[in-house]
Amino acid sequence: MAKTETVRVETVAQRWLPPLDGGTLLMAVLIGFMGFYVLYPLLLILINSFNTATIAEPPVYGLKAWREAFNEPGIWRSLWNSVKIGIALQVVALPTGVFLSWLLARTNIYFANAFEFGFWVSFFLPNLATTFGWMLLLDPSTGLINNWLRSVRFLSGLNFDIYSFWGIIWAHIMANGISTKVMIMTPAFRRMDASMEEASRMSGANSLTTMLRITVPAMTPVIIVVFLLSVIRIFSSFETELLLGVPWGFYVYATKIVDLARQEPPLVNQAAALGSVILLFLVAFIPIQRRLIARRQFTTITGQFKPKIIDLGVWRVPATIFVGFVVFLLDVVPLLSVFGGSFMTRFGFFNLPKTWTMEYWRMALSDPRILQALQNTLIIAVSAATFGAFFFSLVGYVLVRTKLPGRGALDSICWLPSAIPGVLSGLGLLWMFLGTPFFRPFYGTIVLLVIALVLGGVTLSTQILKANFVQLGNELEEASRMSGAGFWRTYFKVVFPLMAQTMVLVAVLKFSFASQNASSIILLATSETRTLSLLALDQIAAGYREVASITVIYITLLTLGVALIARSFGLKVGIRAD
Amino acid sequence: MSFLRVQNLLKTFNRVVAVNRLNLEIREGEFFTLLGSSGCGKTTTLRLVGGLEKPDGGEIHLGDKCLVSENKRLFIKPEKRDMGMVFQSYALWPHMTVFENVVYPLKLRGIRGHEAEKKVAEVLGLVGLAGLEERPAPALSGGQQQRVALARALVFSPRVLLLDEPLSNLDAQLREEMRRELKALQRRVKVTVIFVTHDQIEALSLSDRIAIMQTGQLEQVGNPEEVYYRPATPFVRDFLGKTFLLPGKILGIAAEQVKVAIQQFEASPLCIQRTNLSASGNGLSGVGQSVIVAIRPEQIELWVKAPEGKPNMVPANLQSVQFLGDRYEYTVALGSETRVLVSPASRHLKAGEKIYLELKSEGITLWPKDA
Repeated sequence: MAKTETVRVETVAQRWLPPLDGGTLLMAVLIGFMGFYVLYPLLLILINSFNTATIAEPPVYGLKAWREAFNEPGIWRSLWNSVKIGIALQVVALPTGVFLSWLLARTNIYFANAFEFGFWVSFFLPNLATTFGWMLLLDPSTGLINNWLRSVRFLSGLNFDIYSFWGIIWAHIMANGISTKVMIMTPAFRRMDASMEEASRMSGANSLTTMLRITVPAMTPVIIVVFLLSVIRIFSSFETELLLGVPWGFYVYATKIVDLARQEPPLVNQAAALGSVILLFLVAFIPIQRRLIARRQFTTITGQFKPKIIDLGVWRVPATIFVGFVVFLLDVVPLLSVFGGSFMTRFGFFNLPKTWTMEYWRMALSDPRILQALQNTLIIAVSAATFGAFFFSLVGYVLVRTKLPGRGALDSICWLPSAIPGVLSGLGLLWMFLGTPFFRPFYGTIVLLVIALVLGGVTLSTQILKANFVQLGNELEEASRMSGAGFWRTYFKVVFPLMAQTMVLVAVLKFSFASQNASSIILLATSETRTLSLLALDQIAAGYREVASITVIYITLLTLGVALIARSFGLKVGIRAD
Repeated sequence: MSFLRVQNLLKTFNRVVAVNRLNLEIREGEFFTLLGSSGCGKTTTLRLVGGLEKPDGGEIHLGDKCLVSENKRLFIKPEKRDMGMVFQSYALWPHMTVFENVVYPLKLRGIRGHEAEKKVAEVLGLVGLAGLEERPAPALSGGQQQRVALARALVFSPRVLLLDEPLSNLDAQLREEMRRELKALQRRVKVTVIFVTHDQIEALSLSDRIAIMQTGQLEQVGNPEEVYYRPATPFVRDFLGKTFLLPGKILGIAAEQVKVAIQQFEASPLCIQRTNLSASGNGLSGVGQSVIVAIRPEQIELWVKAPEGKPNMVPANLQSVQFLGDRYEYTVALGSETRVLVSPASRHLKAGEKIYLELKSEGITLWPKDA
């Protein structure tokens, strides 16, 4: 009895005075670094929303920014617009995504694998490319499709204006609205125990009833995850609204922040007030999201089942045509449109004396601005990819493998960036770099953009790495430790080589995201550090569509191209819900 | 005429024949088992009957109704066959409660409200789950999930109940319990059952008749005693229970008995009753023919000293003794084979001792050598 007492006292003492060993130190460094990196800029936004002085002046605190910001009806409207777009998009895209995943995974449509690849391609197509591609087709006056409609006798009254609410929704659906969902849900649908459907058939239900009452409801956990991933991104959406909304005065959350920050004089404090509103929303929402995702009520996966698929019968060909048409709209149409645009003297004008030209390509290949942007993009994407893969593998490893205190906190910090709109983190970093004397010299350099973009994929990277560490099984490392290797030696000699493939995968994903991102760097870049995406946005805004086509093709090559190369080397480049 | 008739049934997967021109006749109300090792085509046969697979040839009739016929291009969908099925994984729908799972087939048949509730309560009572209606399906133990799956398959009084290895996911003790309950339940409900298993104890204890399958074909159909004691083929003989196989030669054939010399050890020739010649043993004719003598361990009596005047005594070597509480297990080498004999009583024997085995003549069967 007395003995146990002593032991207990010892443990309590240990808890109060943690030994300052390497592990705790590592954890402290990681939390400190990630916290400073992720949380401090957000804190700055919150603080500066109460600051009435401009950036780089001594702060004066007051409620002026809040008062001004919310007296302006445009702010409220932009928030409401974001919500409206989010709702309308999900109402269309979620059922479509579920239906497409079901067709791909559970039925005998033709070319299911090829179509799934088509959705994968669509996922890696930059938003900018799809939006721009559809712009060229659905511009109310010069759009190819609208011109064609005017020339057809009975359809001449039709005009699809992409510069409209539903135009924005359409562009979102064509960009990532459907493809992300299909990419996540199709494998999940495929893993479902087929005997659940067969049990329904034996109970007397036909294929359709079985899909509606058994398959889809049984997949609810995955569908909820996908839905929450979309909901949390409502306020992040940027490029599409910038291209399609701003020209007719339609602002959403992210475009409004950029608009405020870029006014002359800049209304950064109002932007901060607007930013803080969403921070509060996220603080409430992220824990709910995490709990819902973590508490996956039921597993629908069993070890032993045959991947038995449903015979669509007479619907097999129509269903194949339907999915094929969706993939055509998602991949082929925007790519052809952008590609064609780069070779046309004036996009959409087929009756010019000289319809086709190589002039723009000749210009683009020597244009110093494009070359500068290409160089910037490559530097940023490569640095974000390498740094991200190394650093976040360490974070993932610490989270999965060690028993160090503070893992929960670190994990939470890693979850946060996925929910924070890129524009907002850009704004926070702007403040951090302008407001902290130590960092001020970095302002206007490319380092700033690298820092912003490494952050971009924190959540996804750590999730992928964590999943792989869990899969790896820790006996291999334990064997190394038992052989006498320490933590770091084990990490570099055993973990690192085993995880090499996953880390390349993470690097590819980060490279791809970094080279197309615009929202998190738009407030940080100067004309010297401008990337291809920002250049393309500027070119489109200035009306140089043909040249912009070429810039967009460059971006597409960097994102989709790199992903395709990685895939051809056998890397399973993609995202997963679990 | 039989209740369920399977004629010339053929099913291939990527040119591998899973069910090879199979014929079956199943009587109304009987508990019929398809027994075989994995990959023998038993589950495919069951799924063909249920309509979850389309055959490449042959016909299936239920009563006077044709369910599927390759020639007539007829295929009744599974939902129209009026058969209940319990899957190996139970396939309970995780987004539904017990009640919702069980009431689902009734809803699809237009039975709702009070009548549906009554039927669900009845069938849940039958499987011993009364009161668990509102539980979510995943919150049940394996045995309970099994019962819900059974209730769901029975609730609409199907004409045939298909069971695909329903007990294989349960632990040993629960499996034994469910086996007893399943049998009692079938007696009460009187539904025709087709049961697929690879477990011979399940097959022997539950079935009215057993069909033993191998490579998509039937080896033997018969009641449990028939297939166990009168195996028609060497496959059935070796598949069910354990047997010693001893090569020998026929020395003489009398009116009642056949005398066989065993080549592997020194012993007087065995006397085997002529009635015990295997079903396929018609080829046993000539004196001097090489044969196989088969005997099950439970037909062997163990002796410490050879008693006087008993026939068919052979010396053997005791390799080990194990005490299992209620019984002893003796590992015995006989010829080139080693088998375990079970005896309730201790005989104070030690490993390595020489013992005598009495091969009871009524338990010995004789097979042609080349079979």
